[in-house]
Amino acid sequence: MENLDYARLQMAFTLGFHIIFACIGMVMPFFMVVSHHKWLKTRNPIYLKLTKAWLKGVAIFFATGAVSGTALSFELGMLWPEFMKHAGPIFGMPFSLEGAAFFVEAIALGFYLYGWKKLPEKFHWFTGIIVGVAGVASGILVVSANGWMNAPSGFDYVNGEFLNIDPVEALLNPAWFTQALHMTLAAFVATGFAVAGVHALQIFRGKNVELHTKAFKIAIVFGAVAAFLQPLSGDLSAKDVAERQPVKLAAMEAHYETQKGAPLYIGGIVDEENREVSHKIEIPGALSFLAFGDFDAEVKGLNDFPDDELPPVPIVHYAFQLMVGLGTLLMLAGLIYFISLKKKNWLKNRKFWLLFIIAAPLGFIALEAGWVVTEVGRQPWIIHQVMRTEDAVTPMPGMKYSFFFYLFLYTILGITVTWLMNRQMKALNKEE
Amino acid sequence: MLYVVLFFLLFSLLLYVLLGGADFGAGIVELFSSRENRKVTRDTIYRVMGPVWEANHIWLIILLVILWVGFPGYFNVMMIYLHIPLVLVLLGITIRGVAFVFRHYDAVLDSSQIWYNRLFRVGSLVTPVFLGMSFASLISGKIIITNDYSNYGFYDLFMEPWLHLFGLLIGLFYAALCAFLAANYLIAETEGDARKLYRKKSIMYTVVLVVLGFALIVYGYFADFIFIEDFIHNPVSLISVGISGLLLIPLWRSIKRGSRIWSRYLAGLQGVLIMFAAIIAHFPYIIITSEEELSLLENLAPEATIDNLALMLLIGGFVILPGLFHLMKSFNLIKVLDKSKP
Ligand code: HDD
Ligand code: HEM
Ligand code: HEM
Repeated sequence: MENLDYARLQMAFTLGFHIIFACIGMVMPFFMVVSHHKWLKTRNPIYLKLTKAWLKGVAIFFATGAVSGTALSFELGMLWPEFMKHAGPIFGMPFSLEGAAFFVEAIALGFYLYGWKKLPEKFHWFTGIIVGVAGVASGILVVSANGWMNAPSGFDYVNGEFLNIDPVEALLNPAWFTQALHMTLAAFVATGFAVAGVHALQIFRGKNVELHTKAFKIAIVFGAVAAFLQPLSGDLSAKDVAERQPVKLAAMEAHYETQKGAPLYIGGIVDEENREVSHKIEIPGALSFLAFGDFDAEVKGLNDFPDDELPPVPIVHYAFQLMVGLGTLLMLAGLIYFISLKKKNWLKNRKFWLLFIIAAPLGFIALEAGWVVTEVGRQPWIIHQVMRTEDAVTPMPGMKYSFFFYLFLYTILGITVTWLMNRQMKALNKEE
Repeated sequence: MLYVVLFFLLFSLLLYVLLGGADFGAGIVELFSSRENRKVTRDTIYRVMGPVWEANHIWLIILLVILWVGFPGYFNVMMIYLHIPLVLVLLGITIRGVAFVFRHYDAVLDSSQIWYNRLFRVGSLVTPVFLGMSFASLISGKIIITNDYSNYGFYDLFMEPWLHLFGLLIGLFYAALCAFLAANYLIAETEGDARKLYRKKSIMYTVVLVVLGFALIVYGYFADFIFIEDFIHNPVSLISVGISGLLLIPLWRSIKRGSRIWSRYLAGLQGVLIMFAAIIAHFPYIIITSEEELSLLENLAPEATIDNLALMLLIGGFVILPGLFHLMKSFNLIKVLDKSKP
């Protein structure tokens, strides 16, 4: 593999690492605030204990998110200097606003972490809300920057030069809304199911059941509601992609022949060489409908695009199937939870808890798969139709070592964080 | 609007160097303390830095964003040629950042604390040294800007600019500055015996700082670094450094008298003056390559971008700075309350 491939792997790996901590940093504050609110209202000490337990976890996740995010800000430049040289001035606005959001978040977090018994109760609680809102705002802003890479706007590209720059138009690029909506929901789905799953495991083992049940309920409500909205928002995203990046849509669906009334493939094995898909389930007309809202619309196939503008089709297709498949499963799991609200005896059934233990990682897997769709599906462009990834990469050789360095560092970090969480859980159960 | 952007660039640079620096310095002070004293330092750091360390480090991100949005040409050179020292800086930031949080939030107190402590202390020393080395490489005159990478060896392009004695001296100088700031900061936060300890430390780090500063200038002069030569011939720089030196007298007095506020502000002011002297010495030609001197003001983003950036910074500045100020203030108040309890 070449320098470029290692740079791409490193970018993918470090972003994929950061996003986990970022999602937790965005969503956990809302769980805490709910639990904290219940404590203030009921004065049931279990809620206080839960809030504080979550808080300890979040402090650890936050620190990891902050350092990996700092590394990313450098990496954008270190790996893709040519890209940043031209893109920086255009899509910088979300990042400068994000700086403000980070500050607000860090300040509010300082208050929230260190303000117990020192600040007035209501104000202290409210700082928790600010942490969450600022987190979501910073998430939306970065995703808007990513949207700009998919749907570049706010400049004129004339003879290789970027003229008439308009940062506001770049911020409000055609992709920002659907991507930001879908991503924010995804963060709630992924974190909701992950947190619920962790507590379900404790209930399954019969440890500190009262506390973990309360925790489970808070987390799952967020996750389940978001899981129902996710396919709706995903449909909006797909229509958007059909419009702005027809190649990506075709790659997601492994759709080679341009045709009217195009069928939707479920599953299937992509043969890139012969440009065929075997072992698939076909739903006639469905792709045309999903992409354009009309069963007869024409959907452009991969064969109609130049060869050197095609992304790696199998990766994009499989990742897309994985995301949608898991999304459907999570929606069903959410449905089962809502039914259990009526059928209380389900909560006594160990299979019920087992289900949510299994569902714990699925949201995050779907989320990573979704990013693979978006990012790999944009290839070979780093800025869609404007700059190629290979032209943006750093001239410094040896990215291989850099990649393995980050792989090593973040693997250790990931293991340590998991191990620390395990210790927190044990300590919490012991206190019972 | 350019001046607004420049103001925030220098402002966030200064704040990162001073606040982030004091944060690194606290780890350095802890590193070079005897076993018993480490615990005191550790607890004080947690109390003082805990609520603000995240905010301190966001200045680095702001600085970076201003650079990449407003000064893309500069950013480009730094990101290509300083790749390796910056990765080392990031390694340091990562390690000390997580170790700081792990050691306070680990639910179980056991031997893993030893590791968190070690990593935090060593990371605190290494990070400012590499930061200093990265800055040094910008002004070293050793960066070779080229499009023809095959003509040069890896070492010439990517190692030579930062790996030299001059860079190391600047790195150590900055680390000493961090420790100096932290020691003076901690004086104001402690009582009794601990106080005496930091008083001693403060004097020790002052001496280290002055010695390293001299070594740096003497070595840089005889090794023909353009930057040092211009530094010596720049009256503003000299005056700044001079004032900073003179301020040592009132600083020592206020330490003796035990005036908390003064010793902190005086030390901070000295840090500001030293940084100011370094930046102004060659302003706006902050990158000195083997061939030319690149002006910060000639490698700008288009005007629309600069205006937009300035506006964002102004808005941010009016929301954030008051909040940060309030945070620090209210936690000072809280500390006072804490202490008055038996
Ligand atoms: C919990 C995670 C999760 C789940 C359950 C889903 N997605 Fe998703 N999807 C994401 C997480 C995600 C993501 C990681 O957040 C992405 C990557 C970029 C983005 O904006 O969102 C994404 C991207 C993404 C894109 C590409 C957008 C672009 O390139 O701009 C489409 C078309 C869909 N999704 C469609 C769907 C559909 C139809 C789903 C039906 C169930 C679905 N997603 C479930
Ligand atoms: C979709 C992708 C991303 C999302 C949703 C996201 C979201 C977040 C959130 C919510 C936080 C604060 C929570 C925490 O600290 O754990 C955070 C931290 C951070 N992110 Fe990301 N991020 C993404 C990608 C990026 C990228 C590409 C960069 C770099 C350019 C970046 C830079 C940062 C930085 C510097 C921080 C640390 C801020 C601090 O010190 O508190 N992020 N991110
Ligand atoms: C946090 C969630 C994200 C994940 C998991 C993710 C994943 C990926 C992956 C898999 C690639 C490699 C694509 C390939 O080369 O085949 C990539 C590339 C890249 N991503 Fe993302 N991405 C995320 C968010 C973002 C955001 C928010 C930005 C920018 C603001 C961004 C900027 C880039 C850049 C510059 C590249 C390299 C150029 C390229 O390969 O096109 N990513 N990312």
